[in-house]
Parts: sequence; structure tokens; C-alpha cells
Amino acid sequence: MNTKNTALLISTGKSRIRRKNVVFAVLAHKMALVGVVIIVSLLCMAVFAPWLAPHDPNDQDLYRVLEGPTWEHLLGTDDVGRDLLSRVIFGARISLVIGIVSTFLSALFGSLLGLIAGYKGGMADMVIMRITDTFMCLPVMVMLLVIVAVLGPGVENIIFAISVLTWTTFARIMRGQVLYVRELPYIEAAHADGASELRIMFKNILPNAISPIIVATSIMLGRHIMLESIATFLGLGVQPPTPTWGKALRVGYSYLEIVPLYSIAPGLMITLAVLGFNFLGDGLRDALDPRLRGEGEKYR
Amino acid sequence: MKRYLAKRLLYALLILFLVSILIFSIARLLPGDPIQAAAMMNMDLANEEIMDDLRSQFGLDVPVVLQYAVWVKDFFTGEWGTSFGSGEPVFEMFLRRLPVTLELFAGYVFWSFLIGFPLGIISAFKRNTALDAAITSTAIVGISVPVIWEAIVLIYLFSVYFQIFPPSGFVPFSENSMENILCMIMPTFVLGTHSAGMYMRYVRSSLLEVLSQDYIRTARAKGLKEMAVIMRHAAKPAMIPVVTVIGIDWGYVISGSFLVEYMFALPGFGRMGIDAIAARDYPVIQATLLIVAFFILMVNLAVDLLYGYLDPRVRVT
Repeated sequence: MNTKNTALLISTGKSRIRRKNVVFAVLAHKMALVGVVIIVSLLCMAVFAPWLAPHDPNDQDLYRVLEGPTWEHLLGTDDVGRDLLSRVIFGARISLVIGIVSTFLSALFGSLLGLIAGYKGGMADMVIMRITDTFMCLPVMVMLLVIVAVLGPGVENIIFAISVLTWTTFARIMRGQVLYVRELPYIEAAHADGASELRIMFKNILPNAISPIIVATSIMLGRHIMLESIATFLGLGVQPPTPTWGKALRVGYSYLEIVPLYSIAPGLMITLAVLGFNFLGDGLRDALDPRLRGEGEKYR
Repeated sequence: MKRYLAKRLLYALLILFLVSILIFSIARLLPGDPIQAAAMMNMDLANEEIMDDLRSQFGLDVPVVLQYAVWVKDFFTGEWGTSFGSGEPVFEMFLRRLPVTLELFAGYVFWSFLIGFPLGIISAFKRNTALDAAITSTAIVGISVPVIWEAIVLIYLFSVYFQIFPPSGFVPFSENSMENILCMIMPTFVLGTHSAGMYMRYVRSSLLEVLSQDYIRTARAKGLKEMAVIMRHAAKPAMIPVVTVIGIDWGYVISGSFLVEYMFALPGFGRMGIDAIAARDYPVIQATLLIVAFFILMVNLAVDLLYGYLDPRVRVT
């Protein structure tokens, strides 16, 4: 058997065993389990919203505006008499869609560029890392507001803006991993065996450099949901009448003294989403790589 | 150490240059130009003649490279242009608002250090106990809770329900020191929450790591008191990762300060930024971004230098 196959066999065999262990380790990790429960509940809420919501989220009843909790409206009604609970349930959809899509794009491009920077080195590394450093001195939230203000509000623009601003995090993590992995003996073996560069990058290096990216994906997902809600809160994000947590938080804030639940309930959902993904990220980190314990904050 | 310092300084300059180009391009990426965009928001400007006047007034009728050069020169001489909205010089707006933001940051440092460090140390020494678990969970909640929601909950609890603190607004310290402190307690606490959580986790993990080192065992074996072991041998190396996280956290804190000033209606620098973004007031937006970038770079530079002081290995490379 030649070295390439041996290396592959070792790496794939190992990752299959590890994958199973990871699931167990995450479920055994108390905080991570809480995270999984929160995330699964939110996902169910988003998917089954039409069945779960007691009312149509856009049904107005102008005779019953700004009511406190009643049996008919468990969380009360908003300023145009819509059922708050239904709007909070439907709000999970847009938040999760924006969070998942923007994180996917950002992780994809970031990892790819990080892989190239780390593996190729030289000029490519220089250019990619200088861009990353440049982005690092501009706070993501502030830049997000600027870009959305320039492009105009809307779901696509928010997703675009978040992805453009956050891929650098993934690029840095990936580059660091690749710099370490590419010096390992099995990569040398693959080179000696005449494997193509692309094959080495994607078949040999990538699978062994991906763990921190998975951890970061979880943590960043929570952050992106928060970013969307902030932009929407400030009137620059998703536009009405789409039910969103950020918008409910915004309008509810002006009625804080009359119906506190109006802003506190949707805000709690945002907090739970961020918390869930942070808990899961912590659990994943401990499960995937105990050496990284306590380093999750670097992904922020 | 001198070479290390020079290298970091040069690097910061390079990044500042790149950032300034990025910020400069944002306003130029608009369809049309900033004047047209401003005219869309403000009908008084929507007249070709007025717009041409403004273009020459803001130097938009010369080549882009020249515009950039003039912009950078003006920035260093304190001529940051005038706001499209109020017509006030941006530099003066900035100076007037700076004290509020600086007070906010001072309060932020107070809360985040006061909560973060002691709890992190306690949690490291009581590792794997119920107390440790409680502190670790508190930390992650502190890291996760969004600024806007925390602000709303605190305003509801302490301003609407218990009526202890004013819900928003600002009283200068020189006018009434007691009221000034009362109206800054909630904003500074909200801003400090995230970092406090971060410091708790980082102090805990780095202290645990250092305390498991051989030289700490040696220090204990030669009969040093526990306090002496910590102060003389463990504290300095344990600070290294904590200092790094202070640097990483700054961008987050600045974003947070923008939101906190918005939520509590503090007339600071961040509030100016958010208002400018909402009104597409480009001279103010550009100045705001450049100041923020400059500030973050300075903090990172300070962190690098501190790092060099704490960890002798860094100075060599």
C-alpha cells in the first residue's frame, strides 16, 4: 500500500471514529446539551411556525392594541393589535435564515482564503492577511450599519454585509490551523507520493484543520443573529411587515412602561439564540479539541 | 525591544493607511456621489446649482487621488469637514462629545475589571466546585446577552419599576456630580457586561494553566507562601492571554458604546456616529470611522507593547 493511501486511511478512519465521539462528547457536556436543546427548539419554532402560532402574525385588531397577557393572547398584543406570541414565533424564521446563510457564506469564503493563505504563503498570504488586519480595526457592528445604510435595507443586503465583514475571522483561524497541519509528516509523505497541490489542500489538510472552524461557525452564528437584530432595531435592517425580533424590540421599547413584554419577549429570544450557539460552540470545542479549552473568545 | 517597537509602529501605520483607503472608498462607492445622496435625504439641497457649489466646496470636482490626499491632510490638521446635517464643523462636534464617551469608557473599565478579575481568580482556585460552575455559567451569559436587550431590561427594572436611576439622558459631572454618576451607572454596567464575562473566562483558564507549571511547584516546594507564589511567579505570565483578550475585545466594546449611547440617550461620540449613519451624513461618518480605526489600532499597539513587556520571548522575534 502506498503512503498516500495509508495517510488517507489513517485520516479518514480517525475522523469517522472521532465524529461519533464528538456527538457523544457534546451530548455529555451539560452546557452543550442545553445549547442543543435551545437551538433545536428555535429551529422547530421557525419550521413549524404556522402550526405553532395561535394567530396569524399579521392579523390586526385595532380594538385590542397594547394589551397585557390574556388567555387569548398569551404575551399580549402589539401597537396595532397583532398577537405578540405569534409574531415572536414567526420572527425566528428571518433571524435563523439570515444567521445561517450569512455564517455559511462567511465560513466558506473565509476558510477558502485562509486555506490558500496558509498553504501557498508568500504573496497570497501577504495580501489576504493585510486585508484581514485592515478589517480588524473596524468594528463589525458599526461597519454593518454603514454598509446597510449605503446599500439600503433588505434581507439580501444584510446577508451580504455580514458575510463581507466577518469572513476575516474564519480566514485567520483557518490560516493558523493550516500553518500547523502542513508541517506534519503525513503531508510530506503526500508530497513525496506526487499528490497534486489541490488534492493535498482539500483531501489531506482541510479535514484536519476544520475543527476550529466548526467551533467558530457555532459561535459566529449566534453573533450574526444578534447583528441582524441590532441593524433591524436601528431601522436599517429587515423592513416591515415581516415579523422580526429586532423590530418588535424597537417598537416595544417605546411602550416599555405600558407593556414591558412587548420588547422583553423578543429580546429574550435573541439572547436565547446567542446563548444556545455559544453553549454549543463551547461544547464542540471541548469535544473536538481539548487543547483549545478556553480559547473560544478568540473567534469573536 | 526597540526593534520590536519600531516594527509594530511601522505595521500600525501601514494598516492605518489601508483602513483610510477603505473608509475613503465607502462614500465613493455610492451611486452618484455623496452630495447627491445627501440631496436625497435633504430636499433643500436638491438643486443642480447648489449641488455644484457643494461639490466644489467639499473638493469633489478634482481627481480622486487628489481628493484622498486632501482628505488625509485635512484630517491631521483637524479640518474634518462640516456636517451635512447641522453644518457644524465635525472636529468641534467630536471634541464636544468626547468627554461623555471617555466617562463611559472609564466606567466600563471599572465594571469589567471589578467583576471579571476577582470572579475569574475565585473560579480558578475553586475549580470544579459548584461555585466555579456558577461563575462559568454567569460568564457565558454575560458574553451572550445583547447590549440592547440588557439595556431595555435594566431600564424597565431600575427606572420604570423601582425608579432608582433615570432611564436616559445625561447630566455633566461639572453641573451635578451626584446626578452624573446616577445616570452613568446603568450605561457603564451594560457596556462592561460582555468584557467582564470574557475576563472571567480568560483569567480562570490562564491562571489554571500557569499554576500547573513545574516552576510553580518548585516555588511552592521551596516553602514560599501561596500569596507570594501567586504575586511573584504566577501573576505576570497569567496576564499574557488576558492582555491579548483586552485587545481583541476593543472592537466589540466600541460597537457596544455606540449602542449604549443610543439606548441611554448619552450625547457622546457613538451617538453622533449612529445619528450620522441614519442621516447618511458622510463627512461625519468618515471621520467617525477613521477615529474608531485609529483608536483600535492604538489599543492594539499598546497591547503589543505590553505583551512584549510581559513575555520576554516576544521581544526577540
